[in-house]
Amino acid sequence: MGKVKLKYFSRIRETIGKTSELVEIKSTNIQDLIEELQAMGEQYSVLKGRDFAVYSAVDQNIVADAKTSIEGATEIAFFPPMTGG
Amino acid sequence: MLNKIVVAVQKSDFDLNTELETLKLKTEKAGAVVIFVGKVRDLDDDNLRYLEIESFEDLAKSQIKEICDDAANKWGLESILVKHRFGRLKINDNIVLVITSSKHRKNAYEASEFIMEYLKSNVPFWKKEVADKTQKWVENS
Repeated sequence: MGKVKLKYFSRIRETIGKTSELVEIKSTNIQDLIEELQAMGEQYSVLKGRDFAVYSAVDQNIVADAKTSIEGATEIAFFPPMTGG
Repeated sequence: MLNKIVVAVQKSDFDLNTELETLKLKTEKAGAVVIFVGKVRDLDDDNLRYLEIESFEDLAKSQIKEICDDAANKWGLESILVKHRFGRLKINDNIVLVITSSKHRKNAYEASEFIMEYLKSNVPFWKKEVADKTQKWVENS
């Protein structure tokens, strides 16, 4: 795959301890990427969504299906349920 | 219609009177203007020190624009304005402003509610309540 910018928001940002990072990845979909990131540290287990739903956006498009392809993506964001308004 | 949709995701406050005056320049066909303001409120069981709103700005803006386009088409609105703030806000500070205008009131009311419902759980903002005893991320009920 290559390098992608990963962005984290809210509770996920706090748990992982950074707002973004540039990472070399092999995965071609969100589900595999979350598995792949586990090797980078225990804190990435937050992305598995055990405590709350984890949403993702690929190049600023919110994806509903974790099997959605991320091939060619330059930015992938992870965040918890949104609470605007 | 597109030039009559205004969307902003911003740190600064908004001024209601300014927005209403601007609206008059945009359309002369609106007989009804519905204004919704969401603001920071104190908690029932603790004293809120501040509310921290985090946003994924670019995505938030595009999500709001998309829903405004939908609302404009569905209710045939004359104009829509949505301004949503982020950053650290105190009790009574403004959070969000939604102004919808239409020929008659029903459409403006319905569109306003539709946009607010969407904002609550589909646009990337996250609120953290920091109070005297606790601090927690707000969850949708």
